[in-house]
Amino acid sequence: MAEHFKISYRQDMALFQNLWVRIWLGILILLLLMAPWFLSRYPLSILNEMGIAVIGALGLNLLTGYTGQISLGHGAFVAIGGYSSALLTAKGGIPFLISLPLSGLMAAGLGLIVGVPSLRLKGLYLALGTLAFGFIVEYVLFHWGLTQGDMGMAVKKAQVLGFTFKTEKAYFYLIVSLASLAALGAKNLARTKIGRSFVAIRDRDIAAEAMGIPLARYKIMAFGISSFYAGVAGCLLAHYQKWIVPGAFDLSLSIAYIAMIILGGLGTILGSILGAILITGIPHGILFLTDVLKAGYPALSGLVVDFKLGIFGLIIVLTLLLEPRGLYGIYSRIKIYWKTWPYRY
Amino acid sequence: MEKMIEIWLNGLCTGSIYALLALGFVLIYKSTGILNFAQGEMAMAGAFLCYTFAMLLDMPYVVAFLIALAIGALLGAFLDALFFRKMVGEPIFSTIMVTVGLASILSCVGGILWGHDVHAIRSPFTHRTASLGGIVLSQGALYTIGASLVLIVIFVLFFNRSLLGIAMKGTAEDPHTSGLLGIPVKRIHMLSWAIGSAVAVVAGIFLAEQSFVRLSMSHTGIKAMAAAILGGMESIGGAILGGILIGIVEGLAANYLSGMEIGDFQFGDVKDVAAFGIMILVLMVRPQGIFGKRKVERV
Repeated sequence: MAEHFKISYRQDMALFQNLWVRIWLGILILLLLMAPWFLSRYPLSILNEMGIAVIGALGLNLLTGYTGQISLGHGAFVAIGGYSSALLTAKGGIPFLISLPLSGLMAAGLGLIVGVPSLRLKGLYLALGTLAFGFIVEYVLFHWGLTQGDMGMAVKKAQVLGFTFKTEKAYFYLIVSLASLAALGAKNLARTKIGRSFVAIRDRDIAAEAMGIPLARYKIMAFGISSFYAGVAGCLLAHYQKWIVPGAFDLSLSIAYIAMIILGGLGTILGSILGAILITGIPHGILFLTDVLKAGYPALSGLVVDFKLGIFGLIIVLTLLLEPRGLYGIYSRIKIYWKTWPYRY
Repeated sequence: MEKMIEIWLNGLCTGSIYALLALGFVLIYKSTGILNFAQGEMAMAGAFLCYTFAMLLDMPYVVAFLIALAIGALLGAFLDALFFRKMVGEPIFSTIMVTVGLASILSCVGGILWGHDVHAIRSPFTHRTASLGGIVLSQGALYTIGASLVLIVIFVLFFNRSLLGIAMKGTAEDPHTSGLLGIPVKRIHMLSWAIGSAVAVVAGIFLAEQSFVRLSMSHTGIKAMAAAILGGMESIGGAILGGILIGIVEGLAANYLSGMEIGDFQFGDVKDVAAFGIMILVLMVRPQGIFGKRKVERV
């Protein structure tokens, strides 16, 4: 039993808690490295989508799960990242390697601006403010000549130091490495002073301020970091799909991201990853099911679009009602059950 | 001049629908402390219900209207019993997100039941116009304004004069104390969900009167939220004024800004974002709205 207890702060703060975590992570990395050699194009493309969603969900979880600031406009920041990189590479001739962080910074800059009202707004007012921001971004993208509105924009393939990413396989390595970097960054951030300040603000902002945490700085920082993640996700999405339209970044994308972090577990890194993988997988699952059932019920295929958002909604509602800690909560409950078996406490 | 008056009157008409929807928000918010993001979806469902009974089942318009109203109220009470009774006292993030999830579920069910086509309800007012000294208005618009006014007066009286209304205000203020005072808190919550949803249904049917019945009409709910914010979330008078103001601003924006171009930015259907622009401005300058009281937080 003794090894289950943490006896020093160092142990509690460790990035990877014990040897088993490291072994499982090693196996996961090995599997991810080998995946492209065994999987065909379609499953690889799903994995790519999941990887991009992981980056975006990590960003939203840092803001909503850790800092407790509700955002209904995360999709807008993804859009800003995607469009900035598309414009920078196409019109500005800037290489992908530079436009990737630049698009993140662009989104972060706008995120900082949205973050400023958050100093006065709380809870539902912040939710409404970010919602309105999302609609306005969508409107601007539709009506600005530069972004070609409804027609959408073609985006160049990603290019790094002369190597052009063409196949799903190449994108897979790019996306997975960036997603791992993002997860590592978020995990590290969460255990620093900044991360602990975020959590303090979430739990009780007035108490946090009384303890000497400058609310303004950390709230705005949370918005900036979260938008940076969203921007990077948007940039990857744009270069991966090679075509972006404003309609892809509407309210339903923001709701999908919220569903990810709620299903996975608010305020956990593992939760964001699990949630992103599941929520991205669900539409493909529905597609697969309708394909199978199409022979019997031909009317079904038209309903897929309706189903998707409805299922996300159902997941949000059920998770919040039945297990507010999400998948991570279920996981930790099972873990504790086995660890303390046959005792129960 | 006449065109100007027409714009203002049409704005007033759309505005009174927003006011009704905003009233539904405020009603539920005032007594349960939950902001219902699914209000627009309730309006959409109400309009589709009315369409189903009036057009598909060939019932008289008034009967269809009343049935839709009753189903809307039942749906509201049902949602309260199923979800929100358990959510009282939960963090605000959870309550908001449950209503957001509910909105997606309702529009999903709506899409499956009624499809994505655009329909029209034929009502006694369709294609009839009234002219007042050269100003032409559809009769539907006049009835909408009139009915909204009547409903609004009823609600103001209800909240300020009737025992039930005051009990609702009390439960919003402090559910525990009002429970101790003998107010049936659960029943009051359920009732306010029922009334709030019924008001949304009325707004949805009036909205269908002016345009069409379609799934995307649920977006009006978010604009009505802007109205509620503008007026102050806790004020009935504020919701009404906010709704009318937003309706008029939208009308003016549609008439004077729509064709404009600045550089290569075309304003296009600027009407649809005017409400959101106002919402952000209000949140930046005066988050509590016109009639709202500044909240003092107890530590």
